Amino acid sequence: MIVELGHFALVLAFALALVQSTVPLIGARSGNQRMMAVAGPVTIAGFVLTAFAFAVLTVSYIQSDFSVVNVWENSHSLKPMIYKVTGTWGNHEGSMLLWVLILAAFGALVTVFSGNLPATLRANVLAVQGMIGAAFFLFILATSNPFARLDPAPFEGRDLNPLLQDIGLAIHPPLLYLGYVGFSISFSFAVAALIDGKIDAAWARWVRPWTLAAWVFLTGGIAMGSYWAYYELGWGGFWFWDPVENASFLPWLSGTALLHSAIVMEKRSALKIWTLLLAILTFSLSLLGTFLVRSGVLTSVHAFATDPTRGVFILAILMVFIGGSLALFAIRAHLLTAGGLFQPISREGALVLNNLFLTTATATVLIGTLYPLLVEAVTGDKISVGPPFFNMTFGPLVVPLLAVVPFGPLLAWKRGDIAAVSQRLFFAFGIALLATLGAFVFIDRVSVFAALGIGLSVWLVAGAFTDLALKAGFGKVSPSVALSRLFGLPRSVFGTALAHAGLGLTTLGIVSVVTLETEKFTSMKPGETVQVADYTIRFDGISPFQGPNYTEDRGHFTFLNSAGRELGELFSSKRLYPARQMPTTEAGIRTRGLSQLYISLGDPTVDGGIVVRIWWKPLVLLIWLGGVLMMIGGTVSLLDRRLRIGAPAARRSAAVGEAKALPS
Amino acid sequence: MFFWIAAAVLTLGACLAVLVPLTRTQAGRDADRDHDIEVYRDQLAELDREAARGSIGESEAAEARAEIGRRILRLADQQSDQASSSGGRFTRFAGTAAVLSIPLLSWGVYATIGSPDLPAMPLQARIEQDPEKNTVDELVARAEAHLAENPSDGRGWDVLAPIYYRMGRHQDAVTAYRNAIRLSGVSAARETGLGEALAASSGGLITSDAQAAFERALALDPQFPKARYLLAAAFMQDGKPDQAVAELQRMMEGLPEESPWRDVAQQAMRSVNAEVEREQTATGPTREQVQDAAGMDDADRAAMIEGMVSSLDEKLRANPDDPAGWQRLIQSYVVLGREADAVEALGRGIVAMGSDSDKGAELEAFGASLGLKPGEPEKE
Repeated sequence: MIVELGHFALVLAFALALVQSTVPLIGARSGNQRMMAVAGPVTIAGFVLTAFAFAVLTVSYIQSDFSVVNVWENSHSLKPMIYKVTGTWGNHEGSMLLWVLILAAFGALVTVFSGNLPATLRANVLAVQGMIGAAFFLFILATSNPFARLDPAPFEGRDLNPLLQDIGLAIHPPLLYLGYVGFSISFSFAVAALIDGKIDAAWARWVRPWTLAAWVFLTGGIAMGSYWAYYELGWGGFWFWDPVENASFLPWLSGTALLHSAIVMEKRSALKIWTLLLAILTFSLSLLGTFLVRSGVLTSVHAFATDPTRGVFILAILMVFIGGSLALFAIRAHLLTAGGLFQPISREGALVLNNLFLTTATATVLIGTLYPLLVEAVTGDKISVGPPFFNMTFGPLVVPLLAVVPFGPLLAWKRGDIAAVSQRLFFAFGIALLATLGAFVFIDRVSVFAALGIGLSVWLVAGAFTDLALKAGFGKVSPSVALSRLFGLPRSVFGTALAHAGLGLTTLGIVSVVTLETEKFTSMKPGETVQVADYTIRFDGISPFQGPNYTEDRGHFTFLNSAGRELGELFSSKRLYPARQMPTTEAGIRTRGLSQLYISLGDPTVDGGIVVRIWWKPLVLLIWLGGVLMMIGGTVSLLDRRLRIGAPAARRSAAVGEAKALPS
Repeated sequence: MFFWIAAAVLTLGACLAVLVPLTRTQAGRDADRDHDIEVYRDQLAELDREAARGSIGESEAAEARAEIGRRILRLADQQSDQASSSGGRFTRFAGTAAVLSIPLLSWGVYATIGSPDLPAMPLQARIEQDPEKNTVDELVARAEAHLAENPSDGRGWDVLAPIYYRMGRHQDAVTAYRNAIRLSGVSAARETGLGEALAASSGGLITSDAQAAFERALALDPQFPKARYLLAAAFMQDGKPDQAVAELQRMMEGLPEESPWRDVAQQAMRSVNAEVEREQTATGPTREQVQDAAGMDDADRAAMIEGMVSSLDEKLRANPDDPAGWQRLIQSYVVLGREADAVEALGRGIVAMGSDSDKGAELEAFGASLGLKPGEPEKE
């Protein structure tokens, strides 16, 4: 019964989403306060119902209720509890339910935090959110219902794809969806502004925190996904320019651009139309990602849905929302007024440059992702645009961008002085140069790329801290004053510095792994040793192991340093999940500082040995720790007090007192 | 019944979420202008802080102040165009429609796609219910749950293994027999069961694994009839009828007079003999011919096959009333890639059978199943 109640709640949420997308919009067009006021309670009620439906599905998974088709297809009674819970969204239907749950949650958050929003804007934003929600509820109910039932119910499920039976499933999809769906708020704000034909002064001030939050989540989702693929798939790579990866990277690139252009808009009321367009494009790219992954156009571990009707349905949603919003943009954009003026060399100018690079990079990745699909659709030929294409195009675009990043935050608004800024960055440049030379002399004399890449990464990190030091006034005032000024700086300044430093760390990790990693591909018999980088790895033999819902053969290894002292053991295994008769490889990973030893088992050889691949990956953890630092930067920036301002009601009394201070 | 009450409560809640704001008078909200002024004022304050920090030059700060000031003035000029209506017939009509749409839509949609009478079925609760009411599936699930907790209970695996086999869960039966052997030791019955399950899980083919299991069982108990019988079947399957017969004879010798296996063995012996005879008299290649063919090179083998096909063709010209023969001929041509001959043979066969007769129709259908249409019969 509880299952059916969850199903009913989902249907009810769909009905409410339809009301949410129409009534407040009519109210906003006709200036009817009551109809606009419907938006809030309806959004909250829709969220409660969706959350209930999701909770019911989760409970069905926990209780192994195989009368629910979705549970039967993707669960197994012997699965460990955590994978029963995460299995809820480890499949197409359940993950779509998570998608709409997050959408509803964001809508509810907008409702709660929108006390300071103008009534019409609030009504319009929530109505657009309602439209997105209604479209996806309909999609779920019509093509991907997680509450479809089986009668009689089987007694055992078909188990979850073993690759997904991992803690990564608990983190990666929810973070990624929070990112994707978070951009729907920026989108709704953009469309709401276009519907009204005016942008309120505080528009960017409201949009930026949502964009920032979505960006933080998406950054985390991509970083986690990359790390998961790295340790689970056993090929030792961290990024493969796979279309599915690109699908998440595209909104990240344009979302990063949006984040920066929103700063200009917020502070200087410039770049309004451009920001609006970016907001629309970013969410459109999120939807495109959903389409590519769900339609069966691509095959990968993500492509759970290969039912063509679903693909057509999502394509229709895609066309309505992207086409509709762009058409609205074309009709309405000219009504929006331009904002403040600025010189090309200025903070605004730097942010425009950032946007140019980022959007070009987005376009490049988009072409690389879609071109093979288009060629296949038109000519039937399967071509592959692999890493070489992206390395050739994306690399040259990103390197100059990274090189100019430290200049941006140091330039003054409206009109900057590039010479003065260069002078102030002298110290950071010096450190970067030393790092380059040091890397060339001491680490690797062969690859100039390694040295230059390390120099670039150090330049980014040093530049970020230079910014903080200069803003605090170190060197100009006494250290104690500078320190107190440092703590008095707005949090957004810290956020910028941390995020840019995180970018530097990620770059350092990538450069170091790409140019300096060592790989051994060999077959080993028990007792044999192999030399990788500065370590010796000894193969100790294979022993069987019985897991809760799998069996595995574990290859045991010991690794020793050059002096022959034992540093530790690790095992790498080949697993078999009998429910799906599916084998997987579990890489053995041992962390030393920020570097990792990575061992993956191959097939046994005829002479009683086993094929092993061993990598030594220097500084590999920085790739993801840099991402974490970017997330921290974004979060710090999100906590800036500035973003909480804009409510006339709360500050009215104070405002009267300050009114005299207004300049004429 | 409880479901419908709960659903009704949910629906009511959803309707109220729409209805309440529509009927309540809204406290006068701030005009949008007030929001904007507040923002501009804050921008001015921040500009001062930035200028103090040196993030913006003095003259640029003054310029920015003027820009913001101009925006504030422009705002003051604007007439408030917000007509604050909050009642009227339109609201009442739209509101009623919105509120009514919720129960109509949700109950309508749910009625088409839901299964309101199907209760939730958590696995644990299904296992715990009175065993008398359990189906076989449920009893198996109960045993599985027990074994999941006590995986070293050999007796449990012993019980479960043949049940799995009978349920058609052959792969599970293999695992269960293996576990039983591992935990409770080898026995002729367990090894035979394992072999049987292995054979069933590879689609009835007695694999070398399965055969080895039967042999292990016989090593433990040479008089175990089932293992002997299945070993004979394995030989038969491998095309070694002599060995099969030998095994069956050994089986008979060891069986007591009243054993039901006696009939089984005799039956099997008869069918082996019949098979051998049928093969020897069949129009197809004899065992010797096939064995010869295995030793020939490709050209010789092709010649032999061609020879057999043409002799079949001759035989059918002389004695066309042989539907099975026609089918074999057509098939042979298709296999040899001589499609034209196949079509021609099909046409001849249909004429010979009589195209209106059942046999003719059957042959035509057979041809269609190979993708052939009857050709013009040869003029004779």
